[in-house]
Amino acid sequence: MIRVEGIHKHFGALHVLRGINLEVSKGEVLVIIGPSGSGKSTLLRCINLLVEPDQGRVFIDGVHVNHPDIRPEWVRQQVGMVFQSFNLFTHLTSLENVMLGPVRVKGVSREATEERAKDLLARVGLSAKAGAYPAELSGGQQQRVAIARALAMDPKAILFDEPTSALDPEYIREVLDVMTALAREGMTMIVVTHEMGFASSVASRIVFLDAGTIIEEGRPEEVFETPKHERTRVFVSKILR
Amino acid sequence: MVPPLAEERRRRTRALDTLAAIVLTLGAIAFIANLFVGRTGFDFAYMQEKYPIFLEATKLTLYATTLSFVIGMAIGFFVGWARTARIVPLRKTLHDHARFRAADTPRWKSRLGAVPLILSSTGKYYLRRVADAYVEIIRGTPLFVQIVFAWSVLLVNYPRLDDLGLIAGIAALTANTGGYQSEIFRAGLQTVHAGQAEAARAVGMSRLRAMRYVVLPQALRLIIPPLTNEYIGLLKASSFLFVIGVQELTTVGKSEAFREFKVFEVFALVTGIYFLMTVPLSKAIAYVERRYRIPGLGMQQARTARV
Repeated sequence: MIRVEGIHKHFGALHVLRGINLEVSKGEVLVIIGPSGSGKSTLLRCINLLVEPDQGRVFIDGVHVNHPDIRPEWVRQQVGMVFQSFNLFTHLTSLENVMLGPVRVKGVSREATEERAKDLLARVGLSAKAGAYPAELSGGQQQRVAIARALAMDPKAILFDEPTSALDPEYIREVLDVMTALAREGMTMIVVTHEMGFASSVASRIVFLDAGTIIEEGRPEEVFETPKHERTRVFVSKILR
Repeated sequence: MVPPLAEERRRRTRALDTLAAIVLTLGAIAFIANLFVGRTGFDFAYMQEKYPIFLEATKLTLYATTLSFVIGMAIGFFVGWARTARIVPLRKTLHDHARFRAADTPRWKSRLGAVPLILSSTGKYYLRRVADAYVEIIRGTPLFVQIVFAWSVLLVNYPRLDDLGLIAGIAALTANTGGYQSEIFRAGLQTVHAGQAEAARAVGMSRLRAMRYVVLPQALRLIIPPLTNEYIGLLKASSFLFVIGVQELTTVGKSEAFREFKVFEVFALVTGIYFLMTVPLSKAIAYVERRYRIPGLGMQQARTARV
């Protein structure tokens, strides 16, 4: 489904990603953990080409997507993204936020999209908030709208960049519940998160990233309970407290 | 948050205050004016007879101002956008391109791949530089000089042109307001959070679409107050067109004032008309702004810092 081969990324003198190889099959939930500055966000952004990798190749459904002949806009339609700071369109209501992509990018009719958008808002439990502007919603509600917005494009996979890190503790649960439901329905997901409960119950695999390289990879219980590497052990013990 | 009733009452009091201030000011002006015209008295009959001429001139003033403003808005948007462009030195772009050549790409192919990079990079560079220069020239020279310059250029090249003065005047005002509006647009575009454009691109929008549907609609709402300011400024600045003989409000006022030596009558009319255009406009815009305010965008009245 998603394959990443030998990705390198530099920001000026900073070598952020140092040869990442990764494969995610359909319906899998991959959780990426790692200390801040380890390149997790950059790796996610390299997959939907919000950041263009300097070297290496990204495949989505077997298509080499960071190829010069492929439009990055097309790639981003295939892979949804949910941000740490929600980034809902401030000037649009929840419903309009969900509708904007299908209407303006895919050219679907407004009527069809509106039906669909309402269904999606219902799915994330926010039917009542369709007419509300982002500033009128709590963080948890905003993030759920953001998930609906990503789903509206019928993506093949969704990337989550620390979706609960900017939330007040009381709102984390509702967002994780929506994500868990998505995973159960078979959505392919790559999630950067420090929510260990979510990671161990939902993730098919955990990847530990440090200083731009994958240090360790395995099923949640392997990585959390019997980590092979010292660095993983130190990091895991820190976040598990 | 103030309860709605108290807010309403406060607004009414404020309106009364404004009214009182206007009445007092006009009264004072009338009093001082009376000291000057005391002997002959204020000739209302003259004003009643002559005001259609001034309304004609007012139409021209509004026409020149509005046309310039609208064209200037288009210029302002594109120039302002160009000025937000980040310039990466060509050498660095090419260096990176060569550095990250994949091992299996032949050298000639990599070189060929650099051509569009060079074109877009130099194109962007000159676009940005031209935009910068334009704004500096407009800001750095007096409007007066710009008007006279535009007029002179037209006069030398098309001496027989009808409406030469008006065309030159509109051209100068357009160029001028375009420069100032570009700074307003630049500030507005840069105020919109980077995450908004990123989210737009993440749903698959091109840069142009992200601008059209996400960034610009937000920026426009944010820059309504400075744009109003610019329009009012331009309306008043259009009085400079009297130097090139455009029959706008100030020009007509000046010639009429001395035709029958009705200086106070004429300028009462002229200033009154300017006032009647600018004040209701700013009030109307303020209303529209309040009416269509979106929570979370722009000034939150209850939350701005009061120091």
